[in-house]
Amino acid sequence: MSRGDRLFFGITSSAAYFAFILVGLILVFLIAQAWPAIQEQGFAFVYGDKWEVTEEKTILQIGPMLYGSILIALLGVLIATPMAIATAYMIVFILKGGWAKLATNLIDLLAALPSVIIGLWGVLVFTPIAQGWAEFLHQYLGWIPLFATDKGTTSLNSSPFIAGWIVAVMIVPIITSVTREIFSQFDRELVNGALALGATRWTVFRRVILPTTSGGITGGVLLGLGRAIGETVAIYYVLQLSMNINLFQILEPRGGAIASWILSRFGEATDKEFHGLMAAGLVIFITTLIINLIANVIVNKAQPWRK
Amino acid sequence: MSDPRPAKQPWNKSSKLASFKGLRGFSDAVLVFGSLLLAAAVFSLLLSVLWSVISAGSGAMSAEFLYQNNRYISTTTSLDYGGVGHAILGTLELVLLATAVALPLGLAIAVYLTQSQSKLRNLVRAITQALAGLPSVVSGLFVLSIISFLDAQKSGIFGAVALFPLMLPTVARVAEEALRLVPQDLRLAALGLGAPNYRAFFQVILPAAKTGIITALLLGLARVVGETAPLILTIQANEGTNLNPLEGGVATLPTYIYGFISAGYASSITRAWGASLVLLIIVGILFVSARLLTGDKKKKKSKGSK
Repeated sequence: MSRGDRLFFGITSSAAYFAFILVGLILVFLIAQAWPAIQEQGFAFVYGDKWEVTEEKTILQIGPMLYGSILIALLGVLIATPMAIATAYMIVFILKGGWAKLATNLIDLLAALPSVIIGLWGVLVFTPIAQGWAEFLHQYLGWIPLFATDKGTTSLNSSPFIAGWIVAVMIVPIITSVTREIFSQFDRELVNGALALGATRWTVFRRVILPTTSGGITGGVLLGLGRAIGETVAIYYVLQLSMNINLFQILEPRGGAIASWILSRFGEATDKEFHGLMAAGLVIFITTLIINLIANVIVNKAQPWRK
Repeated sequence: MSDPRPAKQPWNKSSKLASFKGLRGFSDAVLVFGSLLLAAAVFSLLLSVLWSVISAGSGAMSAEFLYQNNRYISTTTSLDYGGVGHAILGTLELVLLATAVALPLGLAIAVYLTQSQSKLRNLVRAITQALAGLPSVVSGLFVLSIISFLDAQKSGIFGAVALFPLMLPTVARVAEEALRLVPQDLRLAALGLGAPNYRAFFQVILPAAKTGIITALLLGLARVVGETAPLILTIQANEGTNLNPLEGGVATLPTYIYGFISAGYASSITRAWGASLVLLIIVGILFVSARLLTGDKKKKKSKGSK
């Protein structure tokens, strides 16, 4: 190999290894800064529900925030997945030519919208609308514990329900684009065969398309879940953060989101709190890293044509 | 390398296939109209966001709003004074600084992923994909811990560093797709003529993949131009214009929006909407030009194959 080539491949492979180094650096720096808090708070940091910073003692625990993040992410996925699958189905199997392209572009544009804009829209435009939906649910289905509220709760805004919708708006495009890609590469022979056997559109979808693509769709849903857990600014605006844990009353105006908690405490954080927030960041980083690695393995397996 | 995909036939979307009559037709009708309905819900959410930003944001729009900075402006000052000029410049500055590192590095990773025979390749791809899901707040905390480690003052350059890990995976992924579209034969022909690999890349592959690389750049820019959380954590706000990335605060559009929403007065909210409109227009321009470029590319490609 010539000297130029050695340099060329040297540079490209060091760039590639830099990706590892970057992940390693993020881990090392976060752990270094989080260590004092982890050491002092112990394992209760993850599940406890007190965040007290006074002269005498500092208790830093993020249980309700971690739980709230998961609850909101699950709500978001629950709302987004049917919409995403339907949109992908419409783009691939119903719309023709230009319309399908337009719909694809619009969905991708939704993915490109900055979360601060979604947050602004979410708190000023969407919250009043979703509050109406929440009141409806509470009035007619309030006997289900899921839609019950505490005594004395009057306004149903700033709830995990609304935060779940906001998160759903942001992850719909992620799930849609993965699902659309898998649908559009679907084996036509299978569909034609099913149709020849007398299957209807519905049977083809339910018995042929969905079973063969569900693995890949799961991967897309996991990607969305990862995004939802890390979402910060938009949730910060639409959710009332509270250390008083909200297990399942999704209409109650109190909940948690670990990334938004970091943002809300960061401004006036004391030195000890600073390390606690770093530890919270470490928790999000590790959680999303694991979810994303699994999700990508699944998605790559479902999209062999990408290799 | 030949395309492993079967030749594309268009799906039969003729409406004759779907007659919605009878019991068999009923479930089909539910499927078709159900998916149209749910998709319509998604598009109405998108249109609601766009319409809100455009209608509320245009209330703040004026020439002054676009070029003036925010000095001597309080949250209740009338909209005739002050604007986002300083924030536009700050955003461009930070994003370009991040690009200056992320573009060459992302391109190099893409070259590695398309040309290397190393067994580590799949691992590199996996870690790059995983980085794409890096929560933006974590990137901010990472840089914040660097600032605290160095005992440095917050400044614009750190904001750019915090944007970089978010931009890198997007650039690498889109650039990889662009390089993959260049026929392998071109590269092999260049090598066969005696060109070393680096010349085959710079003189044959790169020119052929030019529009794809520009798309990678545009999508990378669109990815980070609206990032808020990392900037809140790593830079200090500034009411005036400051183009020195090494010292002092710097204003950006996302942090400007963030600050004015939090203030909560009617005129400050209008300013936030106005800045959102500016940000939306920037994202829209980047997005549409990226789409136009790839659209041309695909058209040319299909023409060539005929």
